[in-house]
Amino acid sequence: MRRKEVYDPRRATRVVAVATARRAGRQGILWGLVFGATIAASASSYYPTWPTAASRAKLALSFEGNAAWAALFGPLRRLDTVAGYTAYKSGMFTIILGAIWGLLVATRVLRGEEDVGRWELFLSGQTTRARAALQAAIGLGVGIVALWVPTAFLTAAAGGSSKVNIGLGASLFFVTAVVAAATMFMAIGMLVGQLAATRHDANLIGAGALAASYLIRMAADSDSGLNWLRWASPLGWIEELRPLTGSRPFAFLPIVALVAVLLLASVRVARRRDLGASAFASRDAPRPRTLLLGGQAGLTVRLTRPTVVAWIVALAATGLVFGLVAQAAGSALRGARGLERAIERLGGTGIGAATYLGFVFVVAAGLMAIAVAGQIAAIRGEEAAGHLDNLLVRPVPRWRWLAVRLGVGLGLVVVASALSGLAAWVGATSQQAGIGLGDLLKAGLNVVPPAVFVLGIGGLAFGLWPRGAIGVVYGLVVWSFLVEIIAAAFDSNHWLRDTSPLLHIAPVPAADPNWTAAAWLVGLGVLAAVLGIAAFGRRDLVGE
Amino acid sequence: MRCVAVAEGPPDSYTRRKGRTREISVATAIRTEELSKTFGQTKALVSLNLEVPEGEVIGYLGPNGAGKTTTIRLLLGLIRATSGRAEIFGIDAQADPVEAHRHVAYVPGEATLWPSLTGAETLHLLGRVQGQVDTAYRDLLIERFEFDPSKRVRALSRGNRQKLILIAGLMSRSDLLLLDEPTSGLDPLMERTFRECVKESRERGQTVFLSSHILAEVEAVCDRVAILRAGHLVEVGTLAEMRHLSALQVEADLDGAMPDLSAVPGVSAVEVDGSRLRCQVAGSVEPLVSALAAAGVRHLVSREPSLEELFLAHYGADGSEEGTPDAA
Ligand SMILES: Nc1ncnc2c1ncn2[C@@H]1O[C@H](COP(=O)(O)OP(=O)(O)OP(=O)(O)O)[C@@H](O)[C@H]1O
Ligand SMILES: [Mg+2]
Repeated sequence: MRRKEVYDPRRATRVVAVATARRAGRQGILWGLVFGATIAASASSYYPTWPTAASRAKLALSFEGNAAWAALFGPLRRLDTVAGYTAYKSGMFTIILGAIWGLLVATRVLRGEEDVGRWELFLSGQTTRARAALQAAIGLGVGIVALWVPTAFLTAAAGGSSKVNIGLGASLFFVTAVVAAATMFMAIGMLVGQLAATRHDANLIGAGALAASYLIRMAADSDSGLNWLRWASPLGWIEELRPLTGSRPFAFLPIVALVAVLLLASVRVARRRDLGASAFASRDAPRPRTLLLGGQAGLTVRLTRPTVVAWIVALAATGLVFGLVAQAAGSALRGARGLERAIERLGGTGIGAATYLGFVFVVAAGLMAIAVAGQIAAIRGEEAAGHLDNLLVRPVPRWRWLAVRLGVGLGLVVVASALSGLAAWVGATSQQAGIGLGDLLKAGLNVVPPAVFVLGIGGLAFGLWPRGAIGVVYGLVVWSFLVEIIAAAFDSNHWLRDTSPLLHIAPVPAADPNWTAAAWLVGLGVLAAVLGIAAFGRRDLVGE
Repeated sequence: MRCVAVAEGPPDSYTRRKGRTREISVATAIRTEELSKTFGQTKALVSLNLEVPEGEVIGYLGPNGAGKTTTIRLLLGLIRATSGRAEIFGIDAQADPVEAHRHVAYVPGEATLWPSLTGAETLHLLGRVQGQVDTAYRDLLIERFEFDPSKRVRALSRGNRQKLILIAGLMSRSDLLLLDEPTSGLDPLMERTFRECVKESRERGQTVFLSSHILAEVEAVCDRVAILRAGHLVEVGTLAEMRHLSALQVEADLDGAMPDLSAVPGVSAVEVDGSRLRCQVAGSVEPLVSALAAAGVRHLVSREPSLEELFLAHYGADGSEEGTPDAA
């Protein structure tokens, strides 16, 4: 029996807008700070790294027109200016991260909440579903504004400083371009959230769209004859905006059109489909596959397989791309004074393909840390959703369940890093970079220790503080990234560096692995995991 | 095997039991000693002392938030006791849950299964994890509950999910069934099938601990009933005993003037409507009958409380203590 004021559907759907705005807004601000810091750090590192006009000219000469680089980061323009360098250094990174965030937050709001049945509380009748989708869109819009404001503030502040000097208009145009990518993929997330059967499926479809649009623009940027292909990719439109290198606002037209069409479509679909159901007919009664369902370990493999395989493929592909561009990139690095110093400090010598690879494998370590954090989130998700109850009311020891889950995370890390090393070798060898397979396998496996550390800390957090575990482990990852950015900007032996597990690894293959640091990271990670397993055995199971 | 010695006796002996002999605890399926659970400020369960002999079907009743689910999750070791002890067939359920779970099947009131698995896959998995399945019985259950195991859990209705988790629990033929509102969402036909299954389980010597809000279900299948309120066990006994111990409802039509009943022992809830009198009486009816006889009775009806009245009296925030011989 509802009371009358609760029944008012308009009031009820407003709850959806407010809840969405709160979630998206909070996350938007956080990511806005990360983006702003990234852009500011890139801009302010320009003159310290390339102090002379000659070094800047050389930088521009070696990178502009480098097809491999353009394939990765988009076309590079005006690298002899701080604006062009900032666009190259922080553009693709923030654009991709923004797109991923937009996708995830949209499917979370439009699908995740619904999957757990929360929306049914608010909705009744046919029209309210469409209205709820619209309200959710408004809430997501608040998230976009929340992303824009801190990014714009930090970018404008850095651009306005006398050491950088980028015009305010150009800065804001750049920030808007970055946020436009997030907006487009948010709208894509809204629509696929309505179409797919579950949030998980929606994320996969959205990720596919993102990958396709990245690959199309990759092809477009690697050969000048294919430049027109850029117009076939949403990420290509962002490139056509040419932020910081001669703004071209007309490229906003397809962006705005796409967002409008997707919004309209998702509201229409929302009106027509059943709550909790998919607009696509999905196979609800597949042939039973019981091969893996003989026990808890097999179940874990079955449940985590899609994510684990996706990460392994992604990391191997990353390694391959690193390998492919290593030779060209290595020779271009000569003249970057800051880099040389940084390499010496980390125990490396010289400049070349190996140096380049040594540096970029830190990126692989970061990706690995994100993958591991995702495993911790999945572990906690099993408990929060109550799925774990079904196992633990049967003769399954708690320690074994958690050990197997963490073991899957470890397996993911080891396989993915070995494959990324192997793929890097394949790529590098095809370009005659002359780096041995052993060295590159070592480079790949070099990222295992920090990932084990993150996994262990995640296991400990899960054992002690289940509701906070996801926050702790993602917090650790974000913190490591921030420290990396800050450390890069100040180019110093700052104590902050020591708090990031990612920065304790040596730039293999440019240097030998730092065995001591690796042993510490692995040791602490294993210890934390063991303590986490013990703590998990002694606590209540807690739901959401 | 039914252990009669434990089942008998006045209800309050269940709330004050210590140092029982070893013999009896062997035949005891569930035994808790001062079992307590506190969540932050909330005392979800306070010093529960309960014994359930092997082979018994016991109903576990109480208003929402009384602590029924908490008790069951403590018995399963899913949550840690703040103090006290819980045993299943003599095994410490908190210290050695894995060993205890070899004897237990659990059916929750809300199925939280993996949405991507089909019904058949779920049954296969849970059977393997449990380590024992009576496959013929499983197939019989699927047939009786008219369950379609080919669909993904995601595509099942709420009632069908409940059937699935019910089949998953019953198919192991475990010695002890811990059922927490197992029929929520089931239609009346399936509800009846469930009762038949519980009766069969009892015939096979299985012990059943049934928490439920459906009183007819409890009345139909349970040997004994325990009532919990705000974390306290307020009553344990057979339904006959509980009826016997609670107040009688008395209705009388009087000829003469209404007598003053305030001094009559055991009488309460007096209502007067013209010449008609309604009241409750606990303990002996003799003083009331003589008082009424003196006033001149035309017509007198007395009846035992219905099951529902019995429980409503216990569930209510007040007005229950008169009917409760042991103020627990
Ligand atoms: N994880 C928890 N955290 C905090 N409080 C809890 C938790 N679980 C239960 N409680 C509290 O403990 C008390 C008993 O809850 P319990 O779930 O055992 O009730 P119940 O008898 O099963 O009720 P219902 O009939 O509604 O299922 C309630 O006050 C509840 O709010
Ligand atoms: Mg309950």
